Amino acid sequence: MLVRIAQYPSVTSSPLALLLAATLILGGCAGESPDRGAITLVFKHARILGPVDPIPPLLREFEARHPGVRVKSESLPWTSDEQHQFYAINLEGASPGFDVMMLDVIWVPEFVRAGWLLDLSPFLDPTEMAAYFPSAAASATYAGRVWGLPWNMNAGMLYYRVDLLTRYRFRPPETWNELISQVKRIQAGERDPKLEGYLWQGKQYEGLVVNVLEAFWASGTDLLGADDRLFPDPDHAAEALAFLRGLIEAGISPRWVTAADEELSRRAFGDGHAIFLRNWPYALDLFEAPDSPVRGKVGIAPLPGRTRSAAAPGSTGGSHLGISRRSAHPAAAFALARFLTSAHAQREMSKAALYPTHEALYHDPDLIRHRPMLPRIHELMLAGRPRPVTPHYLVLSTTLQPEFSAVLVGIKSPRRAIDDGRRRLEHFLVSSR
Amino acid sequence: MTARERRSRRHGLLLLAPALTMLGLLTAYPGLYVLWLSLQHRVPVFGITEFIGFGHYVFLGQDPRFWSAARTTGLFTVVSVLVEVVLGVLLALALRAQRRGRGLGFSLLLLAWAMPAVVTAKLFEWLYHPSAGLINVLLAHRTLNWLGDPGLALPAVIMADVWRTMPFVVILAHARLLTIPTEIYEAAQVDGAGRLATLRHITLPLLSQIVLIAALFRTLDALRAFDIMYVLTGGGPANTTETLTIYAYRSLFQMLQLGFGSAIGVIVFGLVMAVAWMYLRLLWREGLAA
Repeated sequence: MLVRIAQYPSVTSSPLALLLAATLILGGCAGESPDRGAITLVFKHARILGPVDPIPPLLREFEARHPGVRVKSESLPWTSDEQHQFYAINLEGASPGFDVMMLDVIWVPEFVRAGWLLDLSPFLDPTEMAAYFPSAAASATYAGRVWGLPWNMNAGMLYYRVDLLTRYRFRPPETWNELISQVKRIQAGERDPKLEGYLWQGKQYEGLVVNVLEAFWASGTDLLGADDRLFPDPDHAAEALAFLRGLIEAGISPRWVTAADEELSRRAFGDGHAIFLRNWPYALDLFEAPDSPVRGKVGIAPLPGRTRSAAAPGSTGGSHLGISRRSAHPAAAFALARFLTSAHAQREMSKAALYPTHEALYHDPDLIRHRPMLPRIHELMLAGRPRPVTPHYLVLSTTLQPEFSAVLVGIKSPRRAIDDGRRRLEHFLVSSR
Repeated sequence: MTARERRSRRHGLLLLAPALTMLGLLTAYPGLYVLWLSLQHRVPVFGITEFIGFGHYVFLGQDPRFWSAARTTGLFTVVSVLVEVVLGVLLALALRAQRRGRGLGFSLLLLAWAMPAVVTAKLFEWLYHPSAGLINVLLAHRTLNWLGDPGLALPAVIMADVWRTMPFVVILAHARLLTIPTEIYEAAQVDGAGRLATLRHITLPLLSQIVLIAALFRTLDALRAFDIMYVLTGGGPANTTETLTIYAYRSLFQMLQLGFGSAIGVIVFGLVMAVAWMYLRLLWREGLAA
């Protein structure tokens, strides 16, 4: 026991920690582990909402295939922010409390730099990563090594009301100008004051950064340039921000998008109060639920581009399964991560509207029978683009959220928000390169 | 001091020792450690530990986000505590005069007080919903953008906080009202004092001490307010509801800048101590005057 504590130098570096360690040692002597020989893996993940939770049966199946290994499933807090906080505290405190951990795709470089993740490359077959979406595999890779197995996939897309567009003989919009003129025509024709045009996520949180990034990409620029330069093309970035603000000023988007997150916007569209919505694929199942007012009336399309033939990529998201560097059973933990990310397990997971990272599953006849839009979603996900892959992603996002929000509510000009954001970021980043 | 007194004193100190040790370990040690952290540039994720003295404080001095958070914290504290105290005392007076339904009134008040802040915040998120929220419906179907308008978000957060914590003031004030002897009121009546004069010269002066204590507790809580705005607005829009504690949280747990975040924490600590000290001085004066 003493030896084990000594493996973690940072634990013993402060007197308080020493005291805690002493309590742990004393506590540890009191009880013997009930069954020796058996390994218990702790699997940390966010709970799955909804009627079906495919995870417990999958874990029992894994245990049946691996005698002597038990899996304890522990849930993470609800939001991505709180999950990040949980990991930061526990991993920095060198807690050996879990083996397999669910990771938001944006955390991988940061966690790698912090030394929290186990390098999975030695465990992998050379072609294993090829089955996954290239963007998912790329976001699990950092510094040439693989640190996570892609578990579920997400991409931003445009939802539209098929019934309304058909009534006015419109095709799904390919450019923003088309979307704007369609909103104007439909709103004028429907004369329903409750019918909003285009809903998206403008609350001051991570979702806002996602929406702004998508606007940047549609304008042909990005947040980080090739050499990790911030705002490589400030003119186009300012233009994209001005465009988003313009949607609100022109009434194409209601003023309350400045407080909208995924759920607020999803509910308004789901209640039939909007023509267009930007959201993730999870919303599709809810729109097609038996008691949904918009059941059978919802179509999906790529986000519009600035010009025809240049549809803008949606931002990709989702999660990976990584292994804690503190895990006492790395081989067993890897077996569990590999099992849970296998095509077999992902087929089960897709029942809970978690979209697979294995490309082949999107053309699986069995799955398509339940989800006819899968091949379409596949195209959208393939076209998706990851958020900037950098260990400083959360510093970027946290610093820019208020600046972008200030543009949307009209209290800062796009140019000033970009300059202010850049100045703050330079202060925080220069010192930690 | 006799030998017996000395022995008793030693005995007393011995009995105090465990409590003092615990306080030292759980309060003084982490407090000093945060102070020490705030003098370093520390980003453990990237293995950065560097002593920079007052560097963070200098940066904060000219950081618009810090001053905006300080302003928000101050405004939130002053307005919400003021409204809570005034409404709380009025409600306590109304409840005292109430013959029927007082129990129900208290139960409802306690319910609001007992609800976790996160639940209250979620509840208000729906009340403030732009098109389906009860508040807009009651305001003749307006579509006020409560949580997304930079001018309305802070008032919206303050209203939610007032709803949640005003019962605390009501209950303290009510408890004090119950202890005022009825003879005083009878005497006032005999002297020909009207209801307003009784309120001004008897009830309010006798309430002042407990109201000060309630205000002290509420002010210290409001200065450290976090959960209600964290859930309702996340500090937005455009940081108009970001308090110092939210800024500290974002720096500590999202940006993982332990030194920088600790510096904000130290400033909040200093602020809370200074305000507590001012209140205590007021209370001492009151105590001497009474």
